[in-house]
Amino acid sequence: MKTIDVQSQPILSFARTLGLALSAVRYRLFRAAVTVTVIAVAMAFLANILSESLIKGAIAVHARDGIREMRLAETWVANLSVPMPGTALIDRLAGHDEEPSRIREIAGLADISEDELADLVPVAVQARTYLQFFERLDYGRRRVLVGTASGPDIFRRLADDPAAVQRLFDGLLTMLSYRFPTERPDLEQFLTEWPQLDAWIEQIRAGQARAIRDVHRHLDGRHLLAALAEADGPFGEILAESGFELDDEERALIAARAREAYRAYLIEASLAEFEIRQNIAARRDILPSDVAPLLLWNLLRDEDQAGWLLGRMQALDLESDDLDAATLARLAREKARERLMMVAELATADTGGGFLGLGQRMTWLAFVSMLVCVVGIANAMLMSVTERFREIATLKCLGALDGFIMTVFLIEAAILGVVGGVAGAIGGLIIGVLRMLFRFRTLLLEAFPLTPLFFASLVSIGVGVLLAAVAAVYPSLRAAKLAPMEAMRIE
Amino acid sequence: MKAPTAMATPPTAPRKEERRIIIRTLGMKKQYNRKGQITHALRGIDVEIYSGEFIAVMGPSGSGKSTFFNMIGALDSPSEGRVFIDEVDVAQLTAEELAFLRCRKIGYIFQSYNLIQYMTALENVTTPMAFGGVEPDDARKRGMEILELVGLQERWSHRPIEMSGGQQQRVAIARALANRPTVLLCDEPTANLDHHTGQEILDILQNLSQNQGVTIICATHDHRMMNVCDRLMWIRDGGIERIARRDEVEVELAGIEGE
Ligand SMILES: Nc1ncnc2c1ncn2[C@@H]1O[C@H](COP(=O)(O)OP(=O)(O)O)[C@@H](O)[C@H]1O
Ligand SMILES: [Mg+2]
Repeated sequence: MKTIDVQSQPILSFARTLGLALSAVRYRLFRAAVTVTVIAVAMAFLANILSESLIKGAIAVHARDGIREMRLAETWVANLSVPMPGTALIDRLAGHDEEPSRIREIAGLADISEDELADLVPVAVQARTYLQFFERLDYGRRRVLVGTASGPDIFRRLADDPAAVQRLFDGLLTMLSYRFPTERPDLEQFLTEWPQLDAWIEQIRAGQARAIRDVHRHLDGRHLLAALAEADGPFGEILAESGFELDDEERALIAARAREAYRAYLIEASLAEFEIRQNIAARRDILPSDVAPLLLWNLLRDEDQAGWLLGRMQALDLESDDLDAATLARLAREKARERLMMVAELATADTGGGFLGLGQRMTWLAFVSMLVCVVGIANAMLMSVTERFREIATLKCLGALDGFIMTVFLIEAAILGVVGGVAGAIGGLIIGVLRMLFRFRTLLLEAFPLTPLFFASLVSIGVGVLLAAVAAVYPSLRAAKLAPMEAMRIE
Repeated sequence: MKAPTAMATPPTAPRKEERRIIIRTLGMKKQYNRKGQITHALRGIDVEIYSGEFIAVMGPSGSGKSTFFNMIGALDSPSEGRVFIDEVDVAQLTAEELAFLRCRKIGYIFQSYNLIQYMTALENVTTPMAFGGVEPDDARKRGMEILELVGLQERWSHRPIEMSGGQQQRVAIARALANRPTVLLCDEPTANLDHHTGQEILDILQNLSQNQGVTIICATHDHRMMNVCDRLMWIRDGGIERIARRDEVEVELAGIEGE
């Protein structure tokens, strides 16, 4: 007769467990497809939000840098026209670490030693913090706190009159949602140091005014932009002699941007000639008074049109700075790109903040999508496990270990998660990229955040797998732990 | 057909000389508690089942046959009392040891077949072998042999839904035999089958009992079972009503018919 000796059941190899899980998935292909779709849709949403935010973030940085470079010529025209306003100077002093050469320039212009100036940097930082606070207030609140003063005038008023400080803190008591950056003693300490900073600010402005007069003496009636276009040549020397510190690289950049700006100025100035204006209006079938620079630039992207305009300008004896048709057309295209950058800067103004820099709204959307995703996936996995309790019970009757059953369901969940996650990530990514391409066009190609997008896709896939696995753990653990007959009774 | 030694043995003992006890229960009780309502499915069962015998468990529906079957098959645990399988207390076994027991020592046949729907007949048969660590090639070979035994070698690649009830039950039997179990437990194996196919299943079981020495415990209310078993056990309301050898019952029936 046969006898019974009891041992421990061996653990099944992973390969065979995988095989079993695969055949189970294959058998329930339709249900699996439904589950995969749920996961894919949720992950597509996540991947889409992530990719659009990343692209927007990259474009925001790109556009900001681009615009700063674009405005370089204008910035220098401003620098060479009037001394910097006090607020801007405070900003510059407070940003001491970022642009050391600018500080050196300021010290030189004002005849202050660099070390002395460096001592005042902490005061400037504090001043900037206070100014930022006041700038964020609406007019009514500001009026209550510091009257009509703005910029450095606020400090002047506060330093002159202790009653004003009292009014400020009294006013703050009524605005509990606004926190003043520091305690009152800190402000009072700052106000004792302010007069020194204020005096130097005035000294710096006076130095700047002197330097500006110097430069203007050497202009010889030239347009300032035309002169700046030679910043890499003789005019650069004049700037240096007057006390403006520039290295070669900056000079070259300023010269290039100023040349472009000067030419753009000349071209737009040509619209003052009625003949040109009328001619363009006739081409576009509009009134001559409606011809705007934007329209002109759109027209000039075509090289033939550019050639025509230059011809007309020559005939009218207008200055054209040796422009040829090809260069003008390129300039016009560059103008279009600048406009695109401006649009991009506006369109990306909402980036930053929130989770992962997604922005508040997107963080909320991502959160809701995750919630929908968790519920949907949990439901799908719960269904697919509970409807198989009988199968689980049968497998246990045949000698399956609890761990085997868990593994089968986790593998199944992982397969569904990977397939759904990959499909969703690719789908969401493609939609995101296409939408952003439609919006930012060539800028997207200039600032395509390839690596972050790749990792965002990985994150989406990972989240999909994780959610599916987590959702499968509970029901399958429950099923695996039950005695076979108890599991079979649950229908 | 009748075993010659049957008359010589005492009323509740098997016909064979060797009287090794393979399953024994001591005061086995089971209550089901469903929403506070307690059902006494078994009210204290003491029974000894000998190695190699074919015992039929009879009783009306709801009398506790399935519950008894689950307890002695280590598929569920009794509320009270103990179950010994070959002198080992089932309650003392670890989850791994229980799995081992279910895999190699006991074969289960259910009323509703309980085949795995996404597996072919052969895969159903080889699954317990896989759990038992048999190499895939060996398992396939042995699986085909067992399918041949139950007359289904032609159908090895069919899925359960492509087979009739009788064929599915034969696959279930083949699966129960996969690891050459010591004990074969059947819970109403013929209840869902027509007269003719039911008889085929009974023939297979009888063949196994006589030629392979497998202990068979079969819950049923199919009276044909009387023709193939060694002993009969009646359960009513969760208690044992009677246990008797087949030849005794046959004598009684003959008496009734004679009157
Ligand atoms: N899971 C359960 N929950 C509650 N009562 C049950 C459960 N399973 C069986 N019972 C009850 O236990 C008794 C015995 O059932 P069972 O062993 O299935 O009888 P049989 O197999 O002889 O028809 C019946 O009264 C039945 O209603
Ligand atoms: Mg039953």
